Amino acid sequence: MLQDMRDKACIVGLGQTKQGKLPGLSADEIAIWAFKLSLEDSGLKKEQIDGLMTQQSYGGAGDTLKIGRELGINPKIGTSVIATGAAGAAMVHYAAMVVNAGMANYVAVVYGTNQATNRNRFATGDPESASPFGMFNPGAFAAMNFRRRMALYGTTERQLGTVAVTQRKHARMNPVAVLKDPLTIEDYLSSRYVIAPLHVYDFCHITDGGHCVIVTTPERARDLKQPPVMVMGMGRSDALQGLATPDEAMMQRIQRQSAKMVYEMADVSPDDVDALYVQDAYTPAVLSALENYGFCKEGEAGEFIQGGRIELGGELPVNLNGGQSSETYMVGWGHTADAIRQLRGVCGPRQVKDAAIIQCTYSGGLFDHTLSTIFRRP
Amino acid sequence: MEGTYSKPLPEIDDINRPFWEATRRGELRLQRCKDCSHVSYPAGTNCPKCLSTSFEWSPMSGRGTVWSFIVYHHCWHRGFEKEIPYNVAMIQLEEGPIVITNIVDVKNETIKVGMPVKVVFEHATDEVTLFKFKPA
Repeated sequence: MLQDMRDKACIVGLGQTKQGKLPGLSADEIAIWAFKLSLEDSGLKKEQIDGLMTQQSYGGAGDTLKIGRELGINPKIGTSVIATGAAGAAMVHYAAMVVNAGMANYVAVVYGTNQATNRNRFATGDPESASPFGMFNPGAFAAMNFRRRMALYGTTERQLGTVAVTQRKHARMNPVAVLKDPLTIEDYLSSRYVIAPLHVYDFCHITDGGHCVIVTTPERARDLKQPPVMVMGMGRSDALQGLATPDEAMMQRIQRQSAKMVYEMADVSPDDVDALYVQDAYTPAVLSALENYGFCKEGEAGEFIQGGRIELGGELPVNLNGGQSSETYMVGWGHTADAIRQLRGVCGPRQVKDAAIIQCTYSGGLFDHTLSTIFRRP
Repeated sequence: MEGTYSKPLPEIDDINRPFWEATRRGELRLQRCKDCSHVSYPAGTNCPKCLSTSFEWSPMSGRGTVWSFIVYHHCWHRGFEKEIPYNVAMIQLEEGPIVITNIVDVKNETIKVGMPVKVVFEHATDEVTLFKFKPA
């Protein structure tokens, strides 16, 4: 049954605005810019877009009614999905279902933010259980995760530093990436703590920017400009109980259920994956995903990522865009965009040779919503 | 004086008021389901295990272990500025639930995951007494 959805939807348009700081533009203007770029990329006309899904973001941005009005469209389906930082990935899944149900033919999924210019400091904490004790910023949960990982498995800060250092190497080859200064493991270890045990380089780099993808069926893709990037598999599981199920939420073991679903739908195993993109608001997310999606055993990710294994040219390149610590903080969108480019074969010096199957994993900031998409080239 | 407390205070509502009334008396009380005995935190309107709406505010032993902990080196709120670097911990209570809190009477360097701790109470304002933990 799950396998009925394999290869039934594809991405035919990608819009990615300039990333970094975009002063003078509202978040919705940036989203509309991304939408226009995706139309251009796909060869579709605005009038053909009959599904619009918008990701809400900081400062009240991403209201479907407002964006729809600005775009001048009355789609069959115009909606927004709330799934914290994984909402974009979730909407790609829903778009795949919608085009297969015949309820819309071309669904644009769009996100824009100006939270760097608008100085969103992520200074909030839960007012009942967290902020009275000084717990602010979603990075706190990633720091809790990594501290427990250190205690349970003996993972070290030096091992974790490989994530930030590797991602910076990839970012330096990526024209989109915002942070490109060289970064060594010594730089990482001597950098300041923000929330120990996490260093400053473990945190996402907050940016402005917009993304849009257009989802349709493979039949409709035939007449379009770009080779379709197929959605092979989708996985999902949500740890809505939070701290009441700490292993599932905080240690992200809920991902194992998402893994089961995505591999069953795509009918592949981790061994078949040519490159992995992990939504990494904080670098410990990479270790969790590698273990829970079955690339290595529980507790072994710290060792697994050493020796160039997750670098371009390694056994399993991870976050070739530079991740959210070095490329942009686009709540997983930058990862989806780069996976699409890899499968189109347009990544130049960052291109994974013969990339055929690429997996993306997503999770919201508090490890609640957990998703994965496996894409393949046509 | 109320005005001198500069940290965020918990938002007390009809659902969690008994919890904060208990801490003011120096007691840690959590909701225990009268039908299935499940203990839950934070406060809710029903038992998240069996969905019963019948519960009591049951006294906890006050003992627990450190599930994880972190140390803030960056200041997100002025009320905590002078305490940097300060710890925030997740404590798993003997009865099961995890609470977010601070560990007091300890150097951050000596906190360990799995360390036994026990509850202490810290006056914040006339209305609010916070629950914290110290090494057991």
